Amino acid sequence: MEVLRNALDFSDFPRVDLCVAALVASFLLIFPLFHFSSFAMATMIQFLMFSLYGMGWNTIGGYGGQVDLGKAQYVGIGAYTTSVMLIRWDVPFWVSMPVGMSFAVLWSFIIGYPLFRLKGHYFAIATIATSLVLKDLFEVWDFVGAARGLEISPIKYHPPDFLRLIFKEDVYYYYVILGFFFLGIFYVNWFRKSRLGFQLRSIKDNEDVARSLGINVHWAKVKTYAIATAFVSLVGSFHACYIKNIEPEDTMSLDISILIALMAMLGGAGSLWGPIIGAGVLIPLKSYLKEWLGAKAGLVGIDLIIYAVIIMLISAVEPRGIWGIVEKARRRRSV
Amino acid sequence: MTLLEVQALTKEFGGLRANCDISFNVHQGEMVGIIGPNGAGKTTLFNCISGLYPVTSGRIIFAGRDITRLKAHEVARLGLARTFQVYAATGDLTVEENVMVGCFLRTRSRSQAMARAKQILYDLKLEDLSHYRVSELPVAAQKRVTMATALGLDPKLLLLDEVAAGLNPNEVEEVMANIKHVHSDLGITVMLIEHVMEMVMKISHRIVVLDYGEKIAEGDPQSIAKDPRVIKAYLGERYVREHGGELSPSS
Ligand SMILES: Nc1ncnc2c1ncn2[C@@H]1O[C@H](COP(=O)(O)OP(=O)(O)O)[C@@H](O)[C@H]1O
Ligand SMILES: [Mg+2]
Repeated sequence: MEVLRNALDFSDFPRVDLCVAALVASFLLIFPLFHFSSFAMATMIQFLMFSLYGMGWNTIGGYGGQVDLGKAQYVGIGAYTTSVMLIRWDVPFWVSMPVGMSFAVLWSFIIGYPLFRLKGHYFAIATIATSLVLKDLFEVWDFVGAARGLEISPIKYHPPDFLRLIFKEDVYYYYVILGFFFLGIFYVNWFRKSRLGFQLRSIKDNEDVARSLGINVHWAKVKTYAIATAFVSLVGSFHACYIKNIEPEDTMSLDISILIALMAMLGGAGSLWGPIIGAGVLIPLKSYLKEWLGAKAGLVGIDLIIYAVIIMLISAVEPRGIWGIVEKARRRRSV
Repeated sequence: MTLLEVQALTKEFGGLRANCDISFNVHQGEMVGIIGPNGAGKTTLFNCISGLYPVTSGRIIFAGRDITRLKAHEVARLGLARTFQVYAATGDLTVEENVMVGCFLRTRSRSQAMARAKQILYDLKLEDLSHYRVSELPVAAQKRVTMATALGLDPKLLLLDEVAAGLNPNEVEEVMANIKHVHSDLGITVMLIEHVMEMVMKISHRIVVLDYGEKIAEGDPQSIAKDPRVIKAYLGERYVREHGGELSPSS
């Protein structure tokens, strides 16, 4: 009961925040009624997916301060579990998604347990390495289609198929991921106020102090890493049904890992709204660049340059991202 | 009853002996001061007792249990809390949230942790500061917040590392009132490292003196103030001239 109340209680935010949040939420709810282009719809779905990736990343990376650059491996585990189970055994999404999540969480414990003995940059690099190793493994594993990947052919099903999450129109996908998006916000809203959330912020600040306050630092990190993983794996499963065509090179690439971390950091690591703001800025930008600039002028790779610039800006101007700037301005006004 | 036994504790960093064969006991309900010049090994001693540093040799018994090899978080759970010399508190969090981090050791429930934190802040006369971010507060207040956070663990023994350092006389008075409250009203045994002699001589029942990693003296404040080795190593002649003869725990 207390858990539910904390998840639904946003009263510690200023009223402005809540008004803006309500406006955004209403807009998201009615967005499909405007019948924008299919490009806009696809961009919105990407935005919601990446918001969720970012929310997951934010638990360990933001609140816990452990920069994780290997989230793509868990996108892959979720996406592959759902694809394989659907294609081979016709298992619906609502079963394969929790199964994939369990695999991902299990893998996160196997990876996280030794990795969290490392600190700072060593940890970040190790997460990249494990993710790349898993990707390479999937590229040679025939059972999951090796480098060709897996394809879900929609003709075998009768859309709209709510069990398998096979739809013709994107609007269905939109509302499914929007549902997860809201659940994700409620979860993180609970998390940040929970014991684990408090422990992580103490750990981020000073690990020795955290230890002397009775916090099992290593275990708290491993647990939170698993929570972050669950988010990412869920969206990975969704991604499989939505895109219907997954291959290691796309789904598990380093780009995805970097983008997830970058978005959360740009928006504001360690804040509830940060990852959403980050995704709201970067995803449209990325889509636009890819759609127009990339195709027109052959400027492939310009997005990477932009990411690099963003990283430099964040670290030089405001490590707490866009949300950090908002909070600073606010505090200055109130003083 | 003996709450803490330190037996022949030695801690080496490479070739440097920061603690050398130190032994002493702390009884339930006592207030024990640790003094000594900078670099004497006082903080290192706290780090060993609280489990942050593995000891080189020796044993530490707390509440009848051998805690020598336990990790810091396990030691804390047994009821041994501490503050840090340089570290203040988590700057991003409010005062109340900082104290809640400590309280969360004994409960999973946010509302219980919050209620406990409010009580502690009230007891330490810090409730007016509850909703300030720690980073917005002066150092003196931050130090008192770290004490409040440590109390959240519901400790049997509290180790305070220079909580009065760098404070003005008024602030020292406030901190001293807090320590007295913790000791007499809450019945928590206290060990404090302190350079502010007026304070440590006044409130300690017993004092342990360290110099170059060794325990050079131990006893009640009067005999410590007269001990020639302590005067030579630490107190200096001036202190004894000004305060000699009139020292007692109750004055
Ligand atoms: N982590 C450490 N690594 C190496 N040397 C240390 C460490 N901590 C303390 N020391 C050394 O141990 C000695 C005692 O330090 P410390 O316990 O901090 O003294 P005090 O608190 O009495 O001023 C000093 O010489 C210090 O340089
Ligand atoms: Mg010290």
